[in-house]
Formats: sequence, structure tokens, C-alpha cells
Amino acid sequence: MEPLISMGVLALMGVAATIAGASEDLESDVGSQSNPNSQVQLAPQMMFPHRIYNKAVSGEPPSNALMCAIGATGAVVLMGEFNLSPLFALVIGALIAACVHGTFAMTSTMGRAASQSRFKQPVYLDMIRSHTPVIMAYAFITTFCVLIISYMMNVVLGHPFPLPLLAFIWGITIGAIGSSTGDVHYGAEREFQQFEFGSGLNASNSGNIVRFGESGLRNGYDNSWFCAKFGGPVTGIAFGMTVFLGSWITTVFDPAVSITRGWLSAVAGVIIVFILIIWNRKIEVAARNNYGPYKEDKPEEEAAA
Amino acid sequence: MSAGGDGGEAKGGLPPNTIIGIGAAGGLIGIYLAHFLPATFSFFGGLGAICAIVWGADAVRRVASYGLGTGVPSIGMISLGMGILTALFGLSVGGIAGPIVAFIAAAVIGAIIGVLANKVIGMGIPIMEQAMVEIAGAGTLAIIGLSTVIAGTFDYAVVLETVVSTGFIAMIFIIGGMGILHPFNANLGPDEKQDRTLILGVEKAALAMIIAGLASSINLGLGPAFVTILVGLTVWYISFNKFFGFVKRDAYAVVGTGLLPSEEELQ
Repeated sequence: MEPLISMGVLALMGVAATIAGASEDLESDVGSQSNPNSQVQLAPQMMFPHRIYNKAVSGEPPSNALMCAIGATGAVVLMGEFNLSPLFALVIGALIAACVHGTFAMTSTMGRAASQSRFKQPVYLDMIRSHTPVIMAYAFITTFCVLIISYMMNVVLGHPFPLPLLAFIWGITIGAIGSSTGDVHYGAEREFQQFEFGSGLNASNSGNIVRFGESGLRNGYDNSWFCAKFGGPVTGIAFGMTVFLGSWITTVFDPAVSITRGWLSAVAGVIIVFILIIWNRKIEVAARNNYGPYKEDKPEEEAAA
Repeated sequence: MSAGGDGGEAKGGLPPNTIIGIGAAGGLIGIYLAHFLPATFSFFGGLGAICAIVWGADAVRRVASYGLGTGVPSIGMISLGMGILTALFGLSVGGIAGPIVAFIAAAVIGAIIGVLANKVIGMGIPIMEQAMVEIAGAGTLAIIGLSTVIAGTFDYAVVLETVVSTGFIAMIFIIGGMGILHPFNANLGPDEKQDRTLILGVEKAALAMIIAGLASSINLGLGPAFVTILVGLTVWYISFNKFFGFVKRDAYAVVGTGLLPSEEELQ
């Protein structure tokens, strides 16, 4: 393939991945999936009933793999059986996936609340009615973007795997990245804003999540608003970089041209990984030097003087 | 106390042996009916998969009641992991007895993994070995059932061509696994009830049947796919309503809207 065209395809895949990453993280934040979920689940037991969506659909990797595999199945059927154009097929496939994900989200939040009846956690239907469409909308964007990536790899870049399998693998990947990158900003920060920043989670504060917002009771919208400032975009960048850099090395050094090129692509990949490791280390050391560890309190005499 | 209950044996509802019977017999009968009857009746494979998934969900419920909180999704995944292996093995060597061979192979692998989990990793869950055998069996039947919906038969060559090389196997893997792990995971808590968990298993398995029916249209044509989707939608609608009914029965309160319970109420 023309190098310029493959570069263009790569750029488009990177863009789709960035959007998918951001929407994936926000989708999990609206429903408090994975990392923040344990505290949302624990809160009623500690006498803190809440109005926060408890979307316990396993971890993010399986739930995103499910959405993407279903979306790809729908798209393959529509393209194969109904000869629909790929764009429409991917959209409708993503729509089917979003609907299925909506039922998973609803049943989990209702089931978990019903299983906590002795702690007097009510099931708020208005909260479920208002949050589920938002979850489905984010799920639609995520699935559609992942399907675009998989379709491009399959059709344009000629990857040998069939579409549902590629979508499944990218679904697991995006779930893993969203779970490790974005969730921290909700689970560790947003849920415990009432305690001093950086104080960690004391065991006695377990389950004591923030339940009241600036006005009224806090809900999933408030949490996605907070996470949209940093957690979502940073997840998008992480997934975008994964897709872009992962495909960039084989586009620049195409293994199809010669075996030497194939080895060069592997070497380029290793170099990128090393650069990222060193860069991460530098950031960590700089952060420790600037912000931590805790400075000791001034001795009492000094304070008195 | 863990978030998953008081860490003991699961209580209440139908006895395990009844569910094992429904799951194993229902699963195998559904698969064989779908295989021998014309393609229009391939939805029987989906009904078999529903029986198997409900069985799997009950086995997960029994083993996870010993305090597996975040381990519930993992156990669903290992179920289908074992299932995919044994299903393809059984179908490739068993011929017409394929599902039964796969089922026996699943029991063997499940027993090995159960012993490993208890003896080597030292999880110390009393029913681990039996539960892993059951979970592997349920996962295998779910995979073969949904594959039969798509292929119209469990003939190995046809399954390989229409299910594995098209990539639908990935969808079957994840939707079957979620069907087995989601019911207990979604109802996790001290006031979990067996009927609510199992009806959720039916609901999730019906979704799996609908999507498998959609995928079957490529191989079997629109007619059989339409029948499967229609049957799946009917089962889904009934089971979802039943689940919602159980939620209304079990929850502290189901309210349209409202404030949090007051301090006095919580006392």
C-alpha cells in the first residue's frame, strides 16, 4: 500500500482510539464501574446510602470486550447478509451493543441495591432512568470507535483476524487501559474529596464516599463531569498512543516488504517501550521530589516561639 | 464480613442437584434437537444454552458465596475458557457423541483445576472441586449450544467454518461467560436470593440467544434467524419482567424518586 495512505489510515485509527478511550472512561465513571465500584458497594453497609449508579458489570475489560464483540457481530451480519455499507453497519452494530450494555447496567444496579435491603438502600428509578441512556450513549461511542479501528485493521491494513475477534481483543485492551489509567481519578480522588488531598484511604473512612453535591445529592453525572476534565482525556491519550504507536512501527517498517524490515519494526517497538519507561521514571522521581514524602510537622517549641 | 455475604454456604431456593439436572439434561437435549431437526429449529440450541447458563450461574453462586467478591468475574471467564477448549476437543473427536465427549472432558479438566485451586493455590473452599466440574460443564454446553444456533449443527467442520473462522466464537465466549458470571455478580450482597439470581441468568442467556440468532442469519438464512431472535426476545421480555418483580419484592424500597433514608430510618 502507498505509505501515505497507510499513514492516513493510521492517523484515523489513532483519532478513533483517542475518542474511544475518553468515552470508555466516562462510561465507566457514570456508572461507577470497576475500581470505584467497591466503595459504592460498601457505602450502604457503612450506613451511607447513596444515589450513585452501581454498575457492577464485571471488570471493564470483559464488559468492553462484550460490547465490541456484539457490535462486530451485528456489523458483520449487516454487511454480509444485508449488503449494508460498512458505515451504516458499524453504526447499527454499535447501537445493538449499546442496548445490550444498557440491560447489563440496569440489572446490575437494581440487583445490587435489592441485595442490600437490610442496609436500607432504596432503588431509585429516576436515577436508573436518567443514567442508563447516558451509559448507553457512551457505550455507543466507544463501541463505534473500536469497530472503526478493527474494521480498518481488517479491511485496509489486511489483518488476518476476522472482525469480531479483532473487536474483542481491542475491547479487552481498551477496558484494561480505561481501568488502569482513568479510574484512579474517580476511585481514589473524587469519591474521597471530603478528606485531605493525598491522605490516602484510611480504613475507618472506607465506604464514606461523597454523597452530597454542590447542590442536592451527588450522582453519576457529577462524577463524569469531574472525570471529563482529566481522567477521560488521559485515558483517550493512553489508548490513542497504544493504537497509534502499536501500528506505526509496522507501517513504517513494513514486514511484508522484507524480513529485515520486520525485525526493524520489532526493534523500533522495543526502543519506544524503553523511552516510555525512562520517561515514566523521570516523571515519578520529579513528582516525589516536588510533592512527597510528607514534611514532618514543626516541633512544638518552634510552633510556640 | 466480605461484600459478597457472610462467607458461608449459599442458602435457600432449589437444591443444587435439581439445577444440575436441568442444566445438563436440558443443555444436551437442546443441542441434540437443534442438530437433528431442520435449521428452523436451531433455536433449541439456544434454549439448551439457557439451561446450561442458568446452571453455571447457580454453580458460581454456590462457590462465590464463600467470599469471592472480585473473583466472580474471573470464575465466569475460567468457565468459558475451559468450555471453549473442551467443546472444540469434544466436537473434533466425538462425531455424533461430540457434546457428550466434550462434557466428560470438561468434567475432567474442571476437576483438575478445582484440585489445583484448593490444594496448590490453597483457596480452601470446600465445594471448589465440584463447583469447577459444574462450571466447566456448563461453560462447555453453553459454547456448544450457541455454536449450534449459529451453525445449525454441531458437526466439527461446519462449526469450524461458520463459528470459529468467522470470529463469532469470540462473541460466544464473552457473552456466554458474562451470562454465567453476571447473575451472581449483579446480585452480590447479603440479601441475595436464588430465584432473583437465576432469573437474571435466564435473561442474560436470552440475550446471548438473540445475538447468536442474529449471527446465524449468515449461515442459515433469515428464516431460522428470525425464529431464534423471536424466541429469544420472548424469553428475554418475560425474564426481565420477572427479575424486576423480584427486585421490587426484595429491595428495601423501589421509589420513583426521593431523598436518602433519614438518620432515624437507618437506626
